[in-house]
Amino acid sequence: MTNSMTNVEFVQNLVKSNVNVLQEHITDQYQVHFVVEQDQVHYILNILKNAGWIQMSYLSAIDWPEENKFELVYIVFNWEKPVYVQIRTKIDRENPVMNSILPIYPGSKYYERECHEFFGVKFPGNPDYEKQLILENWDDIPPMRKDFDPEAYSKRKFPQREYSETYIVQSEGKSKLAKMEARKQRAESLRGGKK
Amino acid sequence: MREMKLFLGPQHPGMHGNASVHMYVDGDIIKRSFLLPGMLHRGFEKGMERHSWMNNISLIPRVCVVEPDINELAFAMGAEKLLGLEVPERAHWIRMIIMELARLSIHLMAYGGIGGPTGNYTLMYHAHADRNEILDIFEQITGMRVYHQYIVIGGVRKDLPKGIEKDIHKFLDSLEARYDEYRDLGIDNPSIIKRIKDTIMLPKEVVWELGVTGIGMRSAVNKPYDIRKVMPYCRYDQVEFEVPYSDYSDARSRIDCKLKEILQSISIIRQCLIKIPEGPVRVPISRGQSMRWVVPKGYVYSAVESSRGEFGYFMVSDGGTNPYRVGVRGASYPQGLLGVEKYMPGTRIDDAPMWIDTMGVCSPEIDR
Amino acid sequence: MKDNENKRYKHASIFGPMRHFKYIFKKPVTHPFKIIFTRKNASYLNDNAIIKNKKRLDSAPRTAPDNLRGFHTNDWEVCIGCGTCADICPTDAIRMVERADLKDEAGKLQQRPVIDYGRCCFCALCVDTCTTESLKMSKEYIYASTDPDQFLLMPEKTWQGEKVEQGYVKTEESDLLDLKRIPMEHIEPDERKKSFIEVVRGYSKEYARQEAARCVECGICTSSCPVQMHIPDYIKAIWEDDIEGGLRQIYETNPLPGVCGRVCTHNCETACAIAVRGEAIAIRWLKRYIIDSAPDDMYDKIFAEPVTEVIDAKIAIAGSGPSSLSAAYYLRALGYTVDVFEEKDRPGGVASYGAPQYRIPDYAVEKDINFIKKIGVNIKTNTRVGTDITLDELQKKYDAVFLGTGFFKARMLNIPGADHKDVIGAMDFLPLARDLARGHLKLDEMNVLPSAVVVGGGDVAFDVARNLTRIQIMKYGKANVLLTSLESRDILPASLDEFVEGGEEAVKMELGFGPQEIMIKNGKVKGLKVWKCLSVFDEAGRFNPKFDETQEQVFEADQVYLSIGQAPDYDYIPESMKDKVIIERGKIKANEVGQVAGQEWLFVGGDIFRGPDIITGVADGHRAAQGIDEFLYKKSKKKEQSEYYKELREAIHFNTPVLAMKPKRK
Repeated sequence: MTNSMTNVEFVQNLVKSNVNVLQEHITDQYQVHFVVEQDQVHYILNILKNAGWIQMSYLSAIDWPEENKFELVYIVFNWEKPVYVQIRTKIDRENPVMNSILPIYPGSKYYERECHEFFGVKFPGNPDYEKQLILENWDDIPPMRKDFDPEAYSKRKFPQREYSETYIVQSEGKSKLAKMEARKQRAESLRGGKK
Repeated sequence: MREMKLFLGPQHPGMHGNASVHMYVDGDIIKRSFLLPGMLHRGFEKGMERHSWMNNISLIPRVCVVEPDINELAFAMGAEKLLGLEVPERAHWIRMIIMELARLSIHLMAYGGIGGPTGNYTLMYHAHADRNEILDIFEQITGMRVYHQYIVIGGVRKDLPKGIEKDIHKFLDSLEARYDEYRDLGIDNPSIIKRIKDTIMLPKEVVWELGVTGIGMRSAVNKPYDIRKVMPYCRYDQVEFEVPYSDYSDARSRIDCKLKEILQSISIIRQCLIKIPEGPVRVPISRGQSMRWVVPKGYVYSAVESSRGEFGYFMVSDGGTNPYRVGVRGASYPQGLLGVEKYMPGTRIDDAPMWIDTMGVCSPEIDR
Repeated sequence: MKDNENKRYKHASIFGPMRHFKYIFKKPVTHPFKIIFTRKNASYLNDNAIIKNKKRLDSAPRTAPDNLRGFHTNDWEVCIGCGTCADICPTDAIRMVERADLKDEAGKLQQRPVIDYGRCCFCALCVDTCTTESLKMSKEYIYASTDPDQFLLMPEKTWQGEKVEQGYVKTEESDLLDLKRIPMEHIEPDERKKSFIEVVRGYSKEYARQEAARCVECGICTSSCPVQMHIPDYIKAIWEDDIEGGLRQIYETNPLPGVCGRVCTHNCETACAIAVRGEAIAIRWLKRYIIDSAPDDMYDKIFAEPVTEVIDAKIAIAGSGPSSLSAAYYLRALGYTVDVFEEKDRPGGVASYGAPQYRIPDYAVEKDINFIKKIGVNIKTNTRVGTDITLDELQKKYDAVFLGTGFFKARMLNIPGADHKDVIGAMDFLPLARDLARGHLKLDEMNVLPSAVVVGGGDVAFDVARNLTRIQIMKYGKANVLLTSLESRDILPASLDEFVEGGEEAVKMELGFGPQEIMIKNGKVKGLKVWKCLSVFDEAGRFNPKFDETQEQVFEADQVYLSIGQAPDYDYIPESMKDKVIIERGKIKANEVGQVAGQEWLFVGGDIFRGPDIITGVADGHRAAQGIDEFLYKKSKKKEQSEYYKELREAIHFNTPVLAMKPKRK
């Protein structure tokens, strides 16, 4: 058994000596994160794969609408030196394109397809990335984007069930709870300092 | 002969879960095939973004129907890493008991599952009857049979009920006693061996290409690559157990590994019941009521060893009450999608259900 | 490959599986379907199926284990309708429905949960978060119906009318609420006794946010607050670090938040849903946190547009206590010209002259009053209505008059020796103590002797005792104050804070004694003779103390302070009006908004209308403002009104508080 801290250090040296790391974070002895430039992702993944990080565990995206970016995350793993390496990079949100990592990790084929379906990120180099996978006949924006509202979608697409008004006993006059609700809305409208 | 299109599933006795394998066959040889998921898609990842950290426990277990606890644990461990939260010692051990019981339960179900495609229904009934005992134990511990919603961020929801040790021991003893019977009925049954020996191969190169984990990988690469061993979580470093592995991965050897894991799980639970300390079982995430618990900003990936391999949650928090993004890495993702497309062709139609079963493909965790 | 195989697997035999034949002779492990019906389902099946089977009715589902998360039960007696279950429900299965048939009680809302079992996922988060532990789960798990509407069920103490066994219940470790209050820092007793420094330090930002995170937003506090503040909303604002929003929400219903954040009777905390099982949210201190952390320029944002005279009508307000200032604020916001007359040299009434400096320092009162002044309320100090300007004059000069003159006279005891000069009433002493604290009086000018007995069990008695402690220490280096009250510890009217803090400051307490005589020797007070008090109220609940004469005691002291209640001073009401205003037990009779019958121009509020309580006074002021507006608006000339003004006007009317029920202490 090698000392596990050296594993993290090993990765750090490996990554830092090869690419420009924008941001770095060590979660624990089994996990380390690097944020790199978009054009260096393939390079560093290649190096990592040759160094033993042969398993691609996860590939997906995170939507940051305020920055107008998608953040792609690649998680690779080495069974001999057990450290999860997270490689992240931010790409343009308006025209999200990222070259496929299929030549490096063939297992990424469906991950990229899914990522395209749920975020709309294009992966040139992956022959099937535009095919539909899980969502059949999807006609809205990619659903994992933050500006997609599943509630509105479901109201539009599916019949809404009317609930019977059983159990309600109302008084003659004005409903107290309705007043409470109105007051709550009034109070809510007064907000608007820091979020 | 003319190429024909056949569907395996979504409603088929040999298919596990609601996915469909589209097969283009020539005679009884599959020429092309691909998995059509999506019938079970319920928008989990999106849903998790819309629930608070605590409320998510009602949603998470549903990602995998038969083995819900891995979801709860991976989610809880991820959030705990972000929080830097130390879980009470007793909770770790309870979690291990739950995890191993769950492993027993799904191994029994999967082993019984080979009864379907091979026509050996006795095996299936027996395995399910024994699994029912585990569900009874779960019901006593957690209050639910299938979706336990028991492992939460910060520990577990409730302490073990009094006297549950006796029930667990009783069950473990009976299962251990029946272990040989199970082998004789299934894997050592000559009529079944004919179906599973030297078929549905998974060579080492394919494992690395697809990124298969779990029993599939271990049975091929001859290494004990198990997350419980490689990166021990909970208190797996304080119990003794072996990870079965082999260098030749046909359907039979994968089932064999699975059965050997049953024995290991039994041993782990027994050790847990001896070593479990007294004490509290949960610490709150932060001050305040649960709807206002917040998790600090950060990215984390947390993985546990499920019955099908590495099962992970990728989580992002923006410091709010809800997770900002949760990504689920289903253990059956590589073999279930790319594997079916690339390596199922060439096998026979009647091997397809067996292929799905022994590779460990669970459609809910592909759909999410 | 072959060798390897032989090593790994045992030799397979065709006879191996045969051993399973033994199970032919064993009992099945499954439960037959025909014995697991509930009675309801069995009879349903018998009614609808072709084959009727009487035996079905005897069948029963297997008993579930203790922990089972089955159908809910909800004890309506215990449930307070807080709706936390509905808030937490991850599947939106729980809705709160209005039940006007329930008794309208303080600390409870007239609503109860209804659960849609088509959505419920039996996660039991509702049980774990229930504030009262009324919501529990039973062991029942079978229910069937062909009608989808039949799955909308209202949990009661029973399930489907039958008593059922309890399943999953909340335990201490599964509780999702935070029942412990974030401790508030106090100045150490030894330190604070030496001066009039404020005792409570106030929350830091971090602590305030942690405390705010405990709130479940049920709104029960709001319903028992006399002014119905937007309490859950401003607590949420604190939690989200939005001081500005919180400030606006507070000023919507309370123009004296700095005062109320320190000395309010906090009925809200008594009613708090968390207080059913734990420690209430520190609502008062959270309010104070907003005011303390709001910079002066943030106050400019309370009104989006400057307040101006929109309505051509003038209103005079007598007194500048909480009710008067509240009335002045709302009338001014409505666009009237408002003049306030105060006899003393500082406005604020009880906040400036009654409450002690160590509870509410001047700067806090001034912060509130400055904002009221800033929006254009004219405060004329050193002007006593009745002497400097008569009520008749006010009636002539102004369109309406609001009286908020308060209870500023001490009530005295009718026992031998009570007329001695060293027998001092609380309301005579407290203003002097306050003036001493702000340096307007010198220590020598205070008539304080080295030892004293304080008679009374209310907050005011503690104010007197604790003020005395401080003055005695300043004057003599040590304190000797004894507090005695008619009420024993368990029915002591004073708040717990006062009792604890007073004790910390070494105020001695002898509770449960009735004063009988003030012992005087050589013209000097020697002590107070008391009898043991057996009961304060009679069976009908009237004040009628009974004493045990045999248990007589003398508390030795140089001075006796009486804090047994306050009284009004109606000297300013002219003779011509005396018979037109009905005064009952010291309070002026008026309708709900404070309008005096037959004198439409005259409104009252505060102590002289509903008795002494700051926050009730603020509510009176708001209601009176509403009443005065209704009285004057139609007949006055108006300027052009902006959209914002219309909205503001609507909000002030909308927020007019209703009379709140006082919650019982839990």
